[in-house]
Amino acid sequence: MEFPAVLFPSYFSVGPPREEGGPGPAAGWGEYGQVLEAGPRRRQAETTFVPRRGGTGESWEPADAAAVPFLPPNASCWIPSLVPQDILYRGVLRRKLQAGKTGAALDFTKQLSHFFVDHPEDAFGSLGRLLHKNFYLGNSKLRVSVHPGVTMLPPTLPLAAASPSLCLFSPQRQARDNTIRMTALMEEIGRLEARCGCPRQRLAPRLRWFSHLCRDWLFEVPLGLLADCVHEELLLQWASLLFDDSSTGGALAWLPPKDVGARMGRLVYPGGQAMNHLYFQDVVLEELPRARGSPAQFELNGHIRQVAAARADGEDFVGVRSDYHCGVWRVPGRTGAAPTPLQVIRTSVPASCLTVSPHLPGELSVCTQSGAVYLWSVERGLQRLRHDPQTMFFRDHSPWRWSDFTAHPRVLSCADRTGLQCLDARAPERCHFDLFKVGEEAGCQQGERVVLPMYLGRAHPSQHLVTTQFSVYVLDERLPLVPVLKWAHMMKAPPLFAHLTPGGPERSHKVLLGASHTQELLLLQYQGERWGFGSACQLVGPPQKLHSIAGCLQHLPVQLPHRHHMLQQRLGAPAAGLAAALQEDGLRESLLVFQLSEAGDVFCQRLTHEAAQPPAPTSGDEAMPAPGSSPLFETPASSPPALRSEEEEEEGEEEEEEEQTFYFPAAALRYRRWLKALSEGCGEPPRHAYPATLSQKRLFTRKELATPAGPSTLHEQLRRQLRQTMREGGCIQRWDPLASQPCTPPQPLELAGDADPLSARLTAAWSGDWGQWWEERTSFNMAQRQRALRERRRRQKRARGRRSLSASFTSSLTYQSELSELSDTAPTSLSPGPPAVVPREGSPPAGVPPASPLPDEALLSSQSLRCRGIPKERRKTLRDYLAVWADDPSEPPELPGSQASQLCIPSSQSQLSSASQPRRKRPRMGF
Amino acid sequence: SSHEHKLNFKKSKEVCLNYIQDAMLQKQWKRAAEFLTFYIESLEKDFSTAYMGPSEMIWRIGTEILCHHSHSSMKQFNSFIEQMKTLGVKRYLKVCLEHTFHLLCNGLIDEAYQNLSLAESWRFGEQTAIQDKEMKLIQAYRGLLDYYSWSKQKDILLEHGQNGFEDLSVEQEMHSCFRKAAVNLKEIIKIPGVWDLFVKCYVDLLEFYGDHNEACQVLNEYAYNSKFPANPNAHVYLYQFLKRHGESKKSLISALKILHDIVPSHELMIDFNTMLQKSKKRKKRQLGLEVIFAALDYAGWKENVKAWSCLARQVKQIVISEKHLDWIKQEWNSRKDWWPAFHFSRYLAKRNWQENESLSYEKALVAGILLGKDCKYFKYVSHQGCKAQVKRFRILKKFVNKHNPVYLRISG
Repeated sequence: MEFPAVLFPSYFSVGPPREEGGPGPAAGWGEYGQVLEAGPRRRQAETTFVPRRGGTGESWEPADAAAVPFLPPNASCWIPSLVPQDILYRGVLRRKLQAGKTGAALDFTKQLSHFFVDHPEDAFGSLGRLLHKNFYLGNSKLRVSVHPGVTMLPPTLPLAAASPSLCLFSPQRQARDNTIRMTALMEEIGRLEARCGCPRQRLAPRLRWFSHLCRDWLFEVPLGLLADCVHEELLLQWASLLFDDSSTGGALAWLPPKDVGARMGRLVYPGGQAMNHLYFQDVVLEELPRARGSPAQFELNGHIRQVAAARADGEDFVGVRSDYHCGVWRVPGRTGAAPTPLQVIRTSVPASCLTVSPHLPGELSVCTQSGAVYLWSVERGLQRLRHDPQTMFFRDHSPWRWSDFTAHPRVLSCADRTGLQCLDARAPERCHFDLFKVGEEAGCQQGERVVLPMYLGRAHPSQHLVTTQFSVYVLDERLPLVPVLKWAHMMKAPPLFAHLTPGGPERSHKVLLGASHTQELLLLQYQGERWGFGSACQLVGPPQKLHSIAGCLQHLPVQLPHRHHMLQQRLGAPAAGLAAALQEDGLRESLLVFQLSEAGDVFCQRLTHEAAQPPAPTSGDEAMPAPGSSPLFETPASSPPALRSEEEEEEGEEEEEEEQTFYFPAAALRYRRWLKALSEGCGEPPRHAYPATLSQKRLFTRKELATPAGPSTLHEQLRRQLRQTMREGGCIQRWDPLASQPCTPPQPLELAGDADPLSARLTAAWSGDWGQWWEERTSFNMAQRQRALRERRRRQKRARGRRSLSASFTSSLTYQSELSELSDTAPTSLSPGPPAVVPREGSPPAGVPPASPLPDEALLSSQSLRCRGIPKERRKTLRDYLAVWADDPSEPPELPGSQASQLCIPSSQSQLSSASQPRRKRPRMGF
Repeated sequence: SSHEHKLNFKKSKEVCLNYIQDAMLQKQWKRAAEFLTFYIESLEKDFSTAYMGPSEMIWRIGTEILCHHSHSSMKQFNSFIEQMKTLGVKRYLKVCLEHTFHLLCNGLIDEAYQNLSLAESWRFGEQTAIQDKEMKLIQAYRGLLDYYSWSKQKDILLEHGQNGFEDLSVEQEMHSCFRKAAVNLKEIIKIPGVWDLFVKCYVDLLEFYGDHNEACQVLNEYAYNSKFPANPNAHVYLYQFLKRHGESKKSLISALKILHDIVPSHELMIDFNTMLQKSKKRKKRQLGLEVIFAALDYAGWKENVKAWSCLARQVKQIVISEKHLDWIKQEWNSRKDWWPAFHFSRYLAKRNWQENESLSYEKALVAGILLGKDCKYFKYVSHQGCKAQVKRFRILKKFVNKHNPVYLRISG
């Protein structure tokens, strides 16, 4: 490989980078950089020039409008990754901070309080148990009496949350001596919570006093230590949100066919719930690549971060890196031979890099975050080449290290964020030279850091690619420090993945760059030295953006909102790897680009090479429809959406006919299958993705449900109202007492007299005047009581003829709204908001009993009711209420709203069953 | 409010820029051009002090679009660039330089020259360091173009000279071109950098006018000044110059020795090795062996028949003479743990035999001597060679069998 006879001119200076501020948003366009005489000069002929950037490249056009699923969706319930909103502070402080431009504010207090609420046992367990006898939370004065003192705290106070079940009676004499009354403090806390987010929020002196008093001893883990840990974790999470380098290199590898022209290659990728399964899948290269047979599978004990592969001596060696383990597999040359695991090493510090030698079989290089670089040979074991926790050229905090092979099999390149060095493995201390430095040598910007180095050996034995967050560089080992090529890539996220497809003589080399969070994919072409007259490296053709996985969303048929949201999340998962396969089919060439997402899905797209194009300037938009504008699923205007994943089952025979109308039938079929598999398999695990519906069977007895034979007048009325509202485009808010009510409220079921207080109360609640009902129940005011009686009679008259609650659709609406309010896990609800009913002044203190999964006799005992914080005056109501079940044991029990909702939403139940209780608790319709 | 208005304006500017970028990255130049016309509005309120303001972006994006747009013409391009030149003072020189490149790549050398002269005469206040560099480059490129016209006239003159008549005006013009070129080229190559093109041209000028000392000095400076990057070409040019002027073997060897030290894989190493092998001094012959072994360490040389035959020849010589076997041993010691897998595996034997018979012959010879007659590579190739009834392989087999004890001495 000859060194270019003439290099492009460039200045060379040393020192730290001088340019500030990073490159502008369009820095990669419109520059030729430098020019050079093209080829040897001939006599009398005009000299011709070639630019460093901007020459004509090859034309590779996307064949489809979007990336197509290559494999069925990864069978796992993918948990969407953390988003900034989860840990950032929102509110006044943040606004203040933003004004001062201090960057993101981590919501440390919220996370810490989450910890206290979610894990009270861990936070306060033992002291809570010790102290609960000494804290009195009742309303009455604390004095010596025969009544037992009860320790009962509302669930929000972590102290008691730790031991809600411990409701022991203590002999009051002791209690009098050792018990203090905490009620006022609790009220203070309650008020504080109510004012949450208020800018004028001040800590009450009592609270300050309490916290000063307790800070040192109350916590199971010393608060300072705990806070440090939480804060550290928050910082780590935030740092990894900003930039996660653990997947550098990518976890997808393509093992090309053994013989040129063969059509069967192998794709190596991770999968499974924890991305800890390694798959080797045979792939047949066709119009759309097809998986053949089932993949060879290995289960590993760690999240696979990187899969690296190289071919040495006719065999593929695949290196797999997880945080603390690295393994190497050999894939024999013959087709169909099973891959064999060769060796595994364990590291005490997470490994940050694993590369496979393209020169010698069974050699790899490993770097760990402690700054160590190893040459790992399957035969000879590990050889440490360097151990330096400090970065090479200037100080940088990142522990990330990288290492790769060079043109010399015994010389390895080592990289950290500040640059690259080459070391001779035979004498690593003595023999090394600097290959790349973040500095003036390469014309870097201030703040620029190495993101991914890659050895370009398959294109040219002495060339290396270095990407930073701003630019890509091509370096030649023979001319260290001076990049032979530099280009500002303008990607929104730093390119963590790169893939090289070498071009033959007189052809350009294709480099694919991929970013993780934004899923960006960029295709670059560069031309190395041509044979004969060695010419310098040139970037040719304009850079080209390829389809991202998320980009296919717009081509999919319209989905239900929740499904759309789910798909958006799934398809928008950060990318985790990149691979490409060159397919030569006679004269036709195409490049298949595979992209792996963090959810474990593999997508694929095809680029076709148009060799016949004249060397005239490319005219992309005139010749063919703009990529992306052609619909993936094109259907006649009149027909329903072609791809109805909802109606998959019914379609059956129609499918065949309908497919003819697809623009790209094969791709559409792939999508159809993928979507189906996704919705069937794991796609819908978050239960709250469903609209919050409630089976009425659980709410009402069969008898009640069966009653209405035909449409009643109320039905008619409500239908009319519904239609009218729909016409007006408004919404029905039955619970809004202020809103004008165009029709009478749905009438409650009235059973004989006062026989069933529960029904009475529920009906009152539904009709919107439950507050009044409460007054009736509790008030000693005779006048009021009489008025109430009159009112009831009036209602009775009106409601004659209807016997069932189910006749009222608003009732179910109310239930849903309650439900959404109750369970944290069900934020989606049909109701536009929580009921706008505010308890009147003087109404009993609002507090919801912590609902138990199933009522039993113990529940009805006054003791246990008291334990659950239910005031005495309400206990009877509840007992009556619960007694309803006992009336008809054959029927499925009707549960009160809160309990019913729990049965329907098991996720919230599991939350409740633990010591903690729903975090947010609002005053709502009490019992 | 005005603040909100500003924010909205900024936001829509960003959105527009995103659309442009998107279109360009998908090669939809027409669409990008349409969006760019909207984006130009952003110039109206360009109060930004950012490093790259909208005017620079418009220049860059516009240039790129015009380079690829199917309906653009050189005239349009020129008028666009002229507008861009007036848009930003700080960027004037950069835009001029890029414009020149565009003209040069399209073969418009005279226009490019005019453009450079114009840019050179431009003055605006105090120059920043970057502008200073750009100005120097502009002058250097003008010098380069002067050099090309000089060499054209030189060619004409030489042709005329052959025909037997002289043309004074052409000669005078040629000399003036020389002066203009020499002044500018001399300036730039003083500054640290990679100036292969300019150095070559300058040396050519000097050599034509017989100023060998100056040329030699320039080349030495370019190769050995530590402020310059370690450019292998600098050493190559020096070596070629020395060779052209018939310098002594010693100075040639010392020039190549330095090249060997910085780039052991340079293609001139074969010349170097041949030169050293011919030498009578033992030390130089030993260096020759070292050089060829070092070159073959590199992946790029794996299939280089010339290099393998150089090594095979020298190894054969040493084995036959039975002197200096320790040289081989010394070189082999640091390689015996990885060369067998790197060069002499059975897989490679098969492939080399299929693809390049003479390569496999040379390699088999080396393998047979270094690894003995039982080595996989040698066994496979010699077996295949004998099967194919190729005479030299039979001789090879005999030779290796005869000298097998050498292997024991080397590996021992």
